[in-house]
Amino acid sequence: MTLKNNCDYLYLHVPFCNNICGYCDFVRTINNESLVDKWLEALKIEIDSNNINPNLNTIYIGGGTPSCLSIDQLEKLFLYLSPYLSNVKEYTIEINPESITIDKLELMKKYGINRISVGYQSNDDKMLSFLGRKHTYLDTVKAINNIKEVGINNISLDIIYGLPNQNMADLKSCIHDALILKPTHISLYSLQIEENSIFYKNGISNIDAELEADMYEYIRNVLADNDYLQYEISNFSKYGYESIHNKAYWNYEDYYGISCGASGKENHRRYDKTNNIYSYIENPLERDYIELNREDEIFEYIMMGLRKVEGINIKSFYETFNINIFDIYKEIIDKHINNGNIIVNDNIACSYKGLAILNEILIDFF
Amino acid sequence: MMKQENIRNFCIIAHIDHGKSTLADRILELTETVTQRDMKTQLLDDMELERERGITIKLNAVQLKYHAKDGEDYIFNLIDTPGHVDFAYEVSRSLAACEGAILVVDATQGVQAQTLANTYLALDNDLEIIPVINKVDMANADINRTKREIEDIIGLDCSDAPLISARTGENVEQVLEQIVSKIPAPKGDIDKPLKALVFDSFYDVYRGIIALVRIREGAIKLGDNIRFMATNAEYDVLELGIRNPNEVKVDSLKAGDVGWLSASIKSIQDVRVGDTLTLKNNPADKPLEGYRKLNPMVYCGLYPSDADKYDDLHEALDKLQLNDASLIYEPETSQALGFGYRCGFLGLLHMDVIQERLEREYNLDLIATAPSVIYHVYLTDGTMLEIDNPAKMPDSSRIDHMEEPYVRANIMVPDTYIGAVMDLCQNKRGIYIGMDVIDTGRNTLIYEIPLSEIIYDFFDRLKSSSKGYASLDYELIGYKKEDLVKMDIMLNGEVVDALSVIIHRSEAYKRGSGITIKLKELIPKQQFEIPVQAAIGGKIIARTNIKSLRKNVLAKCYGGDISRKKKLLEKQKEGKKRMKSVGSVVIPQEAFMSVLKVDDDPKK
Repeated sequence: MTLKNNCDYLYLHVPFCNNICGYCDFVRTINNESLVDKWLEALKIEIDSNNINPNLNTIYIGGGTPSCLSIDQLEKLFLYLSPYLSNVKEYTIEINPESITIDKLELMKKYGINRISVGYQSNDDKMLSFLGRKHTYLDTVKAINNIKEVGINNISLDIIYGLPNQNMADLKSCIHDALILKPTHISLYSLQIEENSIFYKNGISNIDAELEADMYEYIRNVLADNDYLQYEISNFSKYGYESIHNKAYWNYEDYYGISCGASGKENHRRYDKTNNIYSYIENPLERDYIELNREDEIFEYIMMGLRKVEGINIKSFYETFNINIFDIYKEIIDKHINNGNIIVNDNIACSYKGLAILNEILIDFF
Repeated sequence: MMKQENIRNFCIIAHIDHGKSTLADRILELTETVTQRDMKTQLLDDMELERERGITIKLNAVQLKYHAKDGEDYIFNLIDTPGHVDFAYEVSRSLAACEGAILVVDATQGVQAQTLANTYLALDNDLEIIPVINKVDMANADINRTKREIEDIIGLDCSDAPLISARTGENVEQVLEQIVSKIPAPKGDIDKPLKALVFDSFYDVYRGIIALVRIREGAIKLGDNIRFMATNAEYDVLELGIRNPNEVKVDSLKAGDVGWLSASIKSIQDVRVGDTLTLKNNPADKPLEGYRKLNPMVYCGLYPSDADKYDDLHEALDKLQLNDASLIYEPETSQALGFGYRCGFLGLLHMDVIQERLEREYNLDLIATAPSVIYHVYLTDGTMLEIDNPAKMPDSSRIDHMEEPYVRANIMVPDTYIGAVMDLCQNKRGIYIGMDVIDTGRNTLIYEIPLSEIIYDFFDRLKSSSKGYASLDYELIGYKKEDLVKMDIMLNGEVVDALSVIIHRSEAYKRGSGITIKLKELIPKQQFEIPVQAAIGGKIIARTNIKSLRKNVLAKCYGGDISRKKKLLEKQKEGKKRMKSVGSVVIPQEAFMSVLKVDDDPKK
């Protein structure tokens, strides 16, 4: 018996970087050419064996640093994925400014990439170097010019704020210098000192909570003023440029997770691929499954759905779970309506202030 | 039956971690009381908590047989002693059951505060003291310095002090020989009327309260009709025995012996440590000296954090009290905390120990309010109320004046730290009474200090201002009139009764702002701004605000990390569960003790 295989979304993880950033806790290994070649062989096996839906909606190549692969390696990767592109609307790859060349960008364009997510992070070269990044602000400007040059116009910037010693003026200049690059999409993450990161091990701590809240508020305001619509807690875009792929996560859709360090969700099961590159090369098909029961799925649906500014569609919830969300959570929803944290119409959504304290709301839904 | 001349009754005294229990273990092994195979390390400390804290709470007595080099057989009664100021009275009673004490001093550390305090207690009881230098096998042992300290500071001759390693057993036999040669045999006339010192008691499920006794004069045998002279309780002796360390039953105990007795005693209140046991039909004319009725000096409220556990708390307190006559409790209600118990303790350590036992042995999650002393509140109509709970204070308009308990504190302190310790006592409203020079470099400072100041943070401050070298002993001396006020703490405009404290008016501003600032640190931000105020009689004397929570959200959450993010939320939820809702405000458990932990001398 084969499971029906109808995911519309595919995530592929490139577990290599040229260097390791201090804040990162993703799966990544320092780039090593022969290791990448072995990984590519394993990747081919995995992609070919998975009976992937040829009519994918989106593909997202993340990392790690996908752009640190060589031209030849990138081309192999794109070729592996080319059979599944017929219906793809959004095909994203993450790049870092220092490892992207016009040749690589032309290759990307050639193989159908139509969205590029750039690791901008900061406009302050000192801050970039503190973060362990190997690029400067100028590198970012050049990279973006090159991306536009090859004809890819859907560009997203990843920005980190709440850096140690960062003040409000620093943040304002950081956002200003990002906006002049005219991206279609911006993701802004406050720095979280994650336990697996180098920062955590070096004892660096998060900034003052009040300042961080001020920064978040400033970001929401300044981006709105510049016609970037917030559609998720950390994501903003020009009209029509919301990330289809990322919205699939928040809509709790199924998706393929391919390669070392990825995870996916198919048929009421979530799975993790191994985090160890050598185990992956050894056994590229292995997945570590977590069965999701109905209770898990309902909570996770809410946990993801309330991240969206539009919130959860009451009808869609009913169609997914065959139960009215109010039959389960009326008391909690009412409480948060009264608190001013939640707004209800066709959807159940966080208010402006509620979105910033989503954890407080979700705790009640547990 | 052993001749009285061949009995040796002794205890081991030491500073914490200097090797008291390890030496006891070696002695048990060497006298073949316990084979090495059966030996659990540190046999005398049989409560889990005792072992962890390295302190001995309950006493124990073990009988050992020793064949000495003089060819004679001896009976050793080794009496264990607790080691903290809260239990000083109990220590002194178990010392009173002995003729001698082995003073263990760690050669890597030398003389420490408790070395001194315990030695003085032993000297008070006229014990022969055998100094023993322990841990001589350690690389950093300094035997000469340690000897010199014992000779200079305590004044004990160390020329033939055994140099031992209790860990390896090295030279422990010398200790046994000195017990024989130096500690006097007990005296006491077997034909006189019975006088037996009760030095400990414990509860046995099948036999009721068991009393541990040292027979001073006369003898006791099965079936005797006995009387506890302080409580006048009378019983028939059902069982007599010794422990070696297993229980061995005997028919009689006579002057010089140490043993236990059971008599179907149901109430621990009848068997008070320090009381004298005599025969009903042939009573002693007067009891042994030194008996004191122990009264709780410190009270606090104990509440289950889960209200459903109230009955469990009651049951646990009942059980603990069977072994501990000094623990008292009665139900009380708090608006903030619900149903709980007001509990009385001998001191702060006693309070900590009981709390920990309740949490650990009875699996209870407790909220404790800040401890309080008993205040005498004189009303305008001439009546007097005893108040041990600030929430119960009558309205100030009804109060004529108030009194608070004072202690006489004897603080032993080396020269170097006298200034710092005097500063501390002054800050604690202490009244200087005098200073005795005990020995070169050692002094006793005598102060009269309000008990409330002692329980506030005196121990910690004393320790830090003397690098641990000062030791404290205190006794209640009575009540003094003081200008005392009740300070309320308000959260979001509502008084939280469990946070109220009674303080001296002169300290109200300092303490009020200290507590409000501490609460601001401890109480997590909530979805609205919370004013934190300290008030006396409705007048606000300190105020701060807990700002509202503006951001608590996971920055990144895509497909892969759901499990981990869920765990984060779960943690936040667990943290919230452990807090108490008071009105609209959620308060973490530790906040209720925070009124104690305020640094009232902030270095700004």
